[in-house]
Amino acid sequence: MKLDRRTLILASTALLAFTGAALADDAKPFAGQTITVLLPSPQDDNMAADFEKDTGIKLDLQTASWDDVSTKVSTALLAGTAPADVTEFDWSWTGQFSAAGWYLPLNDAIDADTQQDIKGSALFNINGELLAVPYTNDFRVMLVNKKHFEDAGVATMPKTLDELVAAAKAIKDKGIVKYPVGLPLSATEGASTSWYLLTKAFGGDLFDKDMNPLFTSPDSAGYKAMAFELQLLKDGLVDPAATGLKDSEINDTMFAKGLTSIMISGEPGRLGQYSDPKQSVVAGQVAAIPVCMASGATRSFGLLEGLGIPKSSANPDAAKEFIKWMTTKQFQVRNYTSNGVLPTRTTALADLQQSGKLVSGEALVAQAPTVEPLFPAGAPTWYPQFSLAVNTSINSAAKGEITVDEAMKRIADAVAEAKKQ
Amino acid sequence: VSSANVISPRLRQQGIGKSSDALLGFLLVLPLLVTMVGLVFYPLLATTWDSFHRVNPMQQGTPFVGVANYTRMFSDAEVRQSWGNTFQYVALAVVLETVFGVIAAALINQVKRGRRWILAAIVLPWAMPAVVSGVIWEWIYAPGPGLLNGVLLALGFDYENFVWFNDGTLAFLLVTLVHVWRMMPLTIVIVLAAMQSIPKDLYEAACLDGASHPRMFFTITLPLVRGAIAVAMTNATVYAFNLFDEAMVLARNSVETRPILIQIFLEAFKKFQFSYGMALSLAVTILSLLFSLGFVARLHKSTRLE
Repeated sequence: MKLDRRTLILASTALLAFTGAALADDAKPFAGQTITVLLPSPQDDNMAADFEKDTGIKLDLQTASWDDVSTKVSTALLAGTAPADVTEFDWSWTGQFSAAGWYLPLNDAIDADTQQDIKGSALFNINGELLAVPYTNDFRVMLVNKKHFEDAGVATMPKTLDELVAAAKAIKDKGIVKYPVGLPLSATEGASTSWYLLTKAFGGDLFDKDMNPLFTSPDSAGYKAMAFELQLLKDGLVDPAATGLKDSEINDTMFAKGLTSIMISGEPGRLGQYSDPKQSVVAGQVAAIPVCMASGATRSFGLLEGLGIPKSSANPDAAKEFIKWMTTKQFQVRNYTSNGVLPTRTTALADLQQSGKLVSGEALVAQAPTVEPLFPAGAPTWYPQFSLAVNTSINSAAKGEITVDEAMKRIADAVAEAKKQ
Repeated sequence: VSSANVISPRLRQQGIGKSSDALLGFLLVLPLLVTMVGLVFYPLLATTWDSFHRVNPMQQGTPFVGVANYTRMFSDAEVRQSWGNTFQYVALAVVLETVFGVIAAALINQVKRGRRWILAAIVLPWAMPAVVSGVIWEWIYAPGPGLLNGVLLALGFDYENFVWFNDGTLAFLLVTLVHVWRMMPLTIVIVLAAMQSIPKDLYEAACLDGASHPRMFFTITLPLVRGAIAVAMTNATVYAFNLFDEAMVLARNSVETRPILIQIFLEAFKKFQFSYGMALSLAVTILSLLFSLGFVARLHKSTRLE
């Protein structure tokens, strides 16, 4: 059979179109599926649209405060249902969730190069199973409002806790703000993490290598840290209403509005949001400083947050696509500039630093090498009991219902009780 | 000769007769029976069974532990405090709801015009979800821009930035107040309905005899609405034992205001000690039931005397 030129061109075009469509389908193998994702707020406004554009998968994104997400995840999992196809997976849940066997291992979905680039993955790797992939590089620094410092005549940024208190007092005395120190004292997770950080700032740790409490003695760092918090409150440097405020509320309603000058337990990821004039009234005034210490070199700890897939998820394959997509270098860089989420990929962080887009990059680069895990051997299964005892005790002590001594005993008793179970 | 025996086989075929009536009755009751078994009795039995075992998703197996989950609650300081808080909530809420509910019902009973509008307005807090009423009161109690501080400030009191929940006792009373505000309408409705069924002749006769209004209230109204008050107190008790949302919204997990239901939530869903949470839940159910039975027994006794 002889083909004329016109027929040949038509046939070739049709073949190319067919091949293209097939390739496009191959690139989007889960197109048309819908997945639910449950994450703490805020998240990128365009996330759902961008993800659908790239993968063809529809995204039902649900956000809430970290404490509310935590409750929703645990209640749903206990009831044997999936809270979402992809959920927040906090570093502190690793021990518990691994023991309960609730999450799918992601070893087959996340390649070795990615795990190498996202060094924090190791925190979520337990017994050879990668239960989550970190998407936000959350560690603690201190956030300050530079303008408040300048207006109060404080020329240099504090390096020690004494200097920090002196600066706060100067800001208060000048009447720049009524309560210069932002510190959550409510019975929520934020109160616990602030105390952990201050324990490190006083040069100590929470537990010894055998997981025995190190905070019960009055000369221990943990004891001093809580006494320090109460002293800040007593001196009128912390708002008494902090007994009812979560850390996110202090960030959003006080620091972002210029009503407080120092966030003791600052989240570096929020710097992008605070530096954006469209989202913040303190743009250009905010900076990170390395954690002030009682003495010695600065220290901090990591609070990495990951993405995991519950075993009860109805769409695990499409869910894996979302995790891969959200942890790509491109998305991480964009998520920092648009939403302030600090990348977990070393290469993404380096790119941001080189392009000068990393807000307070110098301070973050100085703090990053000092970041330690809170529990070097991994989060214990009794972490929720410990954390709950910490924040409820801080809350009671801040309200004057118990002394520091009683608070420390209450926490130690809770740990002992939890270990028995 | 019973009527069933005289019914012809033809009529029986048409569905008339004792056995077919029984069948119809059974079929009518069946949906309720299935619902009760599925949603009440089975979960109750399963919970009871599990409370004698160790059920913890982080630990393999569910070994039998006897009454360990029940004895543990006596040595657990947090649980003891939560029980203490709950008993105080119950005592205070039941007394306040009953006293003020009866007074409010008596006052509304005197209203001749527009009673339905008053009732509609009063019932509103009860019809509202507990979380919503908690959030509304959170705004009222808020330290900075809160309505309560604003009103007190306008009246000349120095309450700017006063933090109401920084005092344990005050916080406890404020949570109770919100619960009473939400649940008192139920007491009002129950007692008012009873008051409206009292024959007017009794008041007219008492009036002719020269009885004063307070005397009529104590000698006619109260004795005749005793049964309704007992029903209202039973409701108030059960709801006070189940207090959760108001305390959670207003004071979160604070130890000073934590009722036993929040403690159960923390044990089961934060600490994952599921069977311990179940034992606590059953203890609440039993106690709540016992208190309610006390009111019902009193009601039964008073009804017999009448």
